[in-house]
Amino acid sequence: MSEETIAPAMWEKLDRSAAETEVIATPSLTYWQDVRKRLWANKPAVVSIGFIVLLILAAIFGPIFSPFSYSDQNLKLANLPPVFEPYRVTDSSGTSTRFFLNASNFNLYQVSEGGQVEEIIRGERKDMLKKRQGFKFGDQAVTLDYSSLPAKLLNADGSVLRPEGLQWNMTYLFGTDQLGRDVLVRQMIGARISLTVAFVATLVNFFIGIFYGGIAGYMGGKTDAVMMRIVEIISTIPLTLYVILLMVVLDSGLISIVVAIGSVFWVDMARMVRGQILMLKSQDYVAAARTMGAGTGRILTKHLLPNSVGPILVTLTMLIPSAIFIESFMSFIGLGVTPPLASWGTLTSEAVETLRAYPHQLFFPAAAISLTMFAFNFLGDGLRDALDPRLRK
Amino acid sequence: MATYVIQRLGLMLLTLFAIVTLTFFLMHAVPGGPFVSERMLAPEIEAALNAKFGLSDPIWLQYLHYLRGIAMFDLGPSFKYPGVSVNQMIADGLPVTLRLGLLAVICVIALGVPMGIVAALNRNKWPDTGVMLLATMGVAIPSYVIATVLLYVFALKLGWVPTFGLDDWRGYILPVLALAGFWISFVARLSRSSLLETFEQDYMTTARAKGLRPGQVLFKHGLRNSLIPVVTVLGPVVANLVTGSFVIEQIFALPGIGRHFVLSITNRDYTAIMGITIFYAALLMVMILIVDLLYLWLDPRIKLSRQSA
Repeated sequence: MSEETIAPAMWEKLDRSAAETEVIATPSLTYWQDVRKRLWANKPAVVSIGFIVLLILAAIFGPIFSPFSYSDQNLKLANLPPVFEPYRVTDSSGTSTRFFLNASNFNLYQVSEGGQVEEIIRGERKDMLKKRQGFKFGDQAVTLDYSSLPAKLLNADGSVLRPEGLQWNMTYLFGTDQLGRDVLVRQMIGARISLTVAFVATLVNFFIGIFYGGIAGYMGGKTDAVMMRIVEIISTIPLTLYVILLMVVLDSGLISIVVAIGSVFWVDMARMVRGQILMLKSQDYVAAARTMGAGTGRILTKHLLPNSVGPILVTLTMLIPSAIFIESFMSFIGLGVTPPLASWGTLTSEAVETLRAYPHQLFFPAAAISLTMFAFNFLGDGLRDALDPRLRK
Repeated sequence: MATYVIQRLGLMLLTLFAIVTLTFFLMHAVPGGPFVSERMLAPEIEAALNAKFGLSDPIWLQYLHYLRGIAMFDLGPSFKYPGVSVNQMIADGLPVTLRLGLLAVICVIALGVPMGIVAALNRNKWPDTGVMLLATMGVAIPSYVIATVLLYVFALKLGWVPTFGLDDWRGYILPVLALAGFWISFVARLSRSSLLETFEQDYMTTARAKGLRPGQVLFKHGLRNSLIPVVTVLGPVVANLVTGSFVIEQIFALPGIGRHFVLSITNRDYTAIMGITIFYAALLMVMILIVDLLYLWLDPRIKLSRQSA
């Protein structure tokens, strides 16, 4: 034993500041907090979430607040555009009339100052040979000349009447279709149908897929081989054809579409879940759980499934747009919802019939479905990146 | 190799059998016979028709008859067009559908892959952004929307191409583009990401380090390896392009199988629906098998046992 003296200086307190530089300042995040943070940092995904929320709100509440219903027809106000060029004619007594010309069907419609469509204006007899029609506003006469396109409105002295600029159609914000139904409310009903089909079908796929894939993956061996062989056979059947066949048998309608889509598209989900379960079941914590006497059901529901939530969520988000797509596709070829109910597919196919004269009718359903597909795709990509940053390219 | 092919063919026959059975019983589950229409037929005539087409037999006998027909490549008569067989309908439409499908496949390879390469080589510069924007649009917008928009812009407004029919080569442009749009975008995205991944591999650095020209590095080392995932998806691509065409055929009024199919659905022509479905399924499975065999030949590393598992 050596006689070492402890210098008094060694009893001094250490300066704490050196240790504090090592402290991790940001609070540690749980996995889901981390995911949320990464997702919020992804601009397209955030915009997509906003769009989807708005769309859902519009689909639920829009038709309630609309003054029209999706099946109200008004043949006198058919094929109105969403934007028009109002003209003004003032007669000698000072009453002025505002109206606009629908350049595709050569009708004049009276509008208010605010842009409300009031009624169709009755003219004199059409002169079919000269392609003219006279209109009287008090003591003023206006002639519609459609002998050369675009059609012109002529004053009594033969000068061309000038419009007052563009105005939005305040009665029918998106215009009307060929039966005079409000396009906006039909759009929102279409969103309701399409989203309902998509969500319900996805939910059905989700449950079947999880159940099937979970069992196949967990059981392994012969059960797995047989179950996966069945999946393989199903996936070689062209699914669109199968959905069409089912729709022919079930007769078109909302429930049939959900049944048809729901009974077919679980295959991908089942494969994915099986893969996840196969990977996870050899983990140590599963062995630990089994050692402690947990049963199959408990291990599946408490250990394996919660840990594969990420990929399941991504697959779900990707399933929704494909369900929307299949539904609109079916409606487009005439196997979807029955008229007068509308879905985006029926709206598009109705618009195709009048494409030549009223292209604007195609714009709204086409834009709605494309934007929705975009939103779900971006959201899916964003979720995948947020859940597993290693996959980001 | 031979065992693999035999195994695959066996599975194919099994699947086909399942499809035939499924479609047969599905179509027979539909309420009402094929001759039920607004105009009531005299009971004697209906009985005679039923006897002619064997519809008064018990269902298992009809099923066996149908199976025998399929085994001899006979899909039976059409119920709506007297004197026309389903085989004839398919023979009518097949050339158009196949031509469209093959042109679309060529488009997918000839446009999708180069787009992916351009994007990968100019990562995060404007060509990349442009290609990815186009590709995202192509993946998200449904083909029938693309088709109608193309139809409106190029055929109705600009008048560059005919609105329907296939009288000259210009008639093919829009249908093929609309058909291939999704897969061009898909392949462009896939080849871009796969190429970017390959660029990070060590052998690429080695190739560059030993002084190979950039073109050689790209084509000999980069592309060859990065195109394997692209080849993998070609099977489903070919399959989808051939079946996906029925809306396109409908929109552009092209006389392919798809149009016959949609028409027979509206006419509720059950034998035609059955026959065309089975034909489609068989066609698809043969295509997928061919692509899988090609894949095997291209990439010998793939183990057969894993493929069949």
